[in-house]
Amino acid sequence: MRLEKCWFCSSTVYPGHGIQFVRNDAKIFCFCRSKCHKNFKMKRNPRKVKWTKAYRRLHGKDMTQDSTFEFERKRNRPERYDRNLAENTLKAIKKIDKIRSDRASDHIKNRLKTGKVQRQKEARKQLELGIHLVKAPLALAQDSSLCLPKIKVNVSQAQTEENQPMED
Amino acid sequence: MIQPQTHLNVADNSGARELMCIRVIGASNRRYAHIGDVIVAVIKEAVPNTPLERSEVIRAVIVRTRKELKRDNGMIIRSDDNAAVVIDQEGNPKGTQIFGAIARELRQLNLLK
Repeated sequence: MRLEKCWFCSSTVYPGHGIQFVRNDAKIFCFCRSKCHKNFKMKRNPRKVKWTKAYRRLHGKDMTQDSTFEFERKRNRPERYDRNLAENTLKAIKKIDKIRSDRASDHIKNRLKTGKVQRQKEARKQLELGIHLVKAPLALAQDSSLCLPKIKVNVSQAQTEENQPMED
Repeated sequence: MIQPQTHLNVADNSGARELMCIRVIGASNRRYAHIGDVIVAVIKEAVPNTPLERSEVIRAVIVRTRKELKRDNGMIIRSDDNAAVVIDQEGNPKGTQIFGAIARELRQLNLLK
């Protein structure tokens, strides 16, 4: 039993799922479901179809280079059964999977950070301009806690000294 | 799903190029032939200067079908074309080489590979 990768979307194909297409030059294409198979028959390029892993990796949406990817290689030679080896491998698979998914989600979070900051800035500006839609101007004037912090303007001392001789 | 009047490519170097199925060997009213079944076919197109000639009636075994082949482990395999290998009455192939991919189900027949 072997878990294949779908040729179109790169998801894992479990036994009993999907179709394998053998081309006349003996190249085998595995598909996870008929959606991928039909897209292939339409001669669509997975690198241009937005929901595939190929597109996401190509356009930097998903993590491409990481040391955890090297653990998952296609091994054609079967290993002799060793209980310790099997046990350790199973433990390692779990751990590596967790590390890899954590790193992948961090990658996506970092990518989306700049957009979040931008959106918050825009939202603050919009609130300033449209505060009259949120609260009536009269209510704002009466209840100072609802106001946005006032902008302070410094008045220079020289002006007041000039006024004093005028009043006398 | 090969039935009479189906054109098949020939996947060996026996001298035929294209066959047309005439009959499916098996039961009397058997409708379709799948991978591994023997058919009676007539040669529609042949390579010149070979022992096989056009409009000769021969037997062939099907090696590739466009219809999917279902395996017991749940694997479904589909090919790009319908192809057959020319065979004699005993079941030995007439050609010496086979071209293209062949399903594992044909391993019990002694095709040279």
